[in-house]
Amino acid sequence: MAIELVCPAGSPAMLRAAVEAGADSVYCGLRDDTNARNFPGLNFSPAELAESVAWAHARGAKVLTAVNTFARAGAADRWRGSVDAAGEAGVDAVIVADLGVLAYARRAWPGLRLHLSVQAAAGSPEAIAFYAREFGVKRVVLPRVLSVGEIAALMREIEVETEAFVFGGLCVMAEGRCALSSYATGRSPNLSGVCSPPEAVTYTEEEGGAMTSRLAGLALDRYAPGEPAGYPTLCKGRFEVEGALSYLFEDPVSLNAIGLLTELRRAGVTAVKVEGRQRGKAYVARVAATFRKAIDLLERGGDPSELSAELTDLAEGGRETAGAYRKTWR
Amino acid sequence: MGGAAWRGRTGRSAGGAAADLLMAFRAAPERVLTGAVRGVAARRPEVFERLGDARRADFVIAPTDFPVAFRLRPDGRTGEVKVVRHDDDAPCAARITGPLVLLLSLLDGSADADAAFFSRRVRIEGDTDATVALHNTLEAAELSLADVLGVRPPLREPVTRGASAALAVLRRHAGVA
Repeated sequence: MAIELVCPAGSPAMLRAAVEAGADSVYCGLRDDTNARNFPGLNFSPAELAESVAWAHARGAKVLTAVNTFARAGAADRWRGSVDAAGEAGVDAVIVADLGVLAYARRAWPGLRLHLSVQAAAGSPEAIAFYAREFGVKRVVLPRVLSVGEIAALMREIEVETEAFVFGGLCVMAEGRCALSSYATGRSPNLSGVCSPPEAVTYTEEEGGAMTSRLAGLALDRYAPGEPAGYPTLCKGRFEVEGALSYLFEDPVSLNAIGLLTELRRAGVTAVKVEGRQRGKAYVARVAATFRKAIDLLERGGDPSELSAELTDLAEGGRETAGAYRKTWR
Repeated sequence: MGGAAWRGRTGRSAGGAAADLLMAFRAAPERVLTGAVRGVAARRPEVFERLGDARRADFVIAPTDFPVAFRLRPDGRTGEVKVVRHDDDAPCAARITGPLVLLLSLLDGSADADAAFFSRRVRIEGDTDATVALHNTLEAAELSLADVLGVRPPLREPVTRGASAALAVLRRHAGVA
């Protein structure tokens, strides 16, 4: 069976663009802090979700709904409400990280497929077996810190489907555990659904064309005139330490694993995932079409790596990486 | 968000004779553009719900290769667009700057905003939250240049197709594809 192509949607328009460009499945979230892309103006109302599910199903595509932030004490009704809205809309699966939300979904919607979000950071056979046994999780979205070899080894020891990120923004922290955004702004992807919330981000253009990005007043980077920029996250800040200026945690680059599709399929990965619900129609149409072409080429025995350079202009910082898949720092 | 307190740096050009001419005759384009915003609000009020508080924010859209800029308040049926000089220093929530063809392509969703930002072709100053809300609203709205110009059916579809094709050519020509 061909690898499933899972693409992002931040709006019904983007969902349609993804499906029309060749996505097998589209993932999206509701318009609140129950998903990890809780940006202003983004996401779906319950009515839009139901309409979009019907539209996608009529075209043979699936809709997966992310309810993948961690429910807060005293406010768990909102997470239960999002699971209910997804179930009522007839989505094909919900993508969940929180143990309590998983337990609720399992109990309230026993027929609803559960995928484990990357936010759960489940990267060991024992952790994955726990989620499968206790909640009936059918698919695990793999942490973005595993090499292809580690994924292949993992696949030999687990019995659920896996989904691996192949394009878009990278998060090299233990996902669901990163506190950098919280430290600077009081809001995080884990609890609020936003990393570097836009109300805390400023860009200052300086005379001569340089630009400084700041998060809650902390300078993250100063870009020279014309120098490609990255997302305003602390993990991609450029800092001076002992006289040397460098990206301490992570360069501002995008993941592009199109050249690794053959190896990922050989490792047994069920689905490949594109990051970027916050992007838009133009982005998802191009990325979905390119990966559709790559997967079809793979199915015909071809080498998808010939398409590696097709998406570079969409990359953060204008640069791409195979990320941890080709881990070289150990 | 929604306030109009940001002024930004000074020292921008007033735009010269072309700007003087466009400012003298700004009433007609202001009427068309304001009518287009209000027309979309009347036909599709749900578009403006995504903006939240940002609907009351003033955005200055400043094409770097056009003599004048535009001040947009996307407040649904009371929204308005004004033609302003590039050195207009009235407070606004945010200022979005870039080549005209790229700004138009962001409006109709045919260009990717993050890629435009990464490449530094589009610059954002002021309230990032309001700007993100505006971007996501435009992405969801599926507006075309025909909507911006207030073109109604049956001309809307052919104008949309023609404008999209023209924008694609202009983007390639300007190297902002």
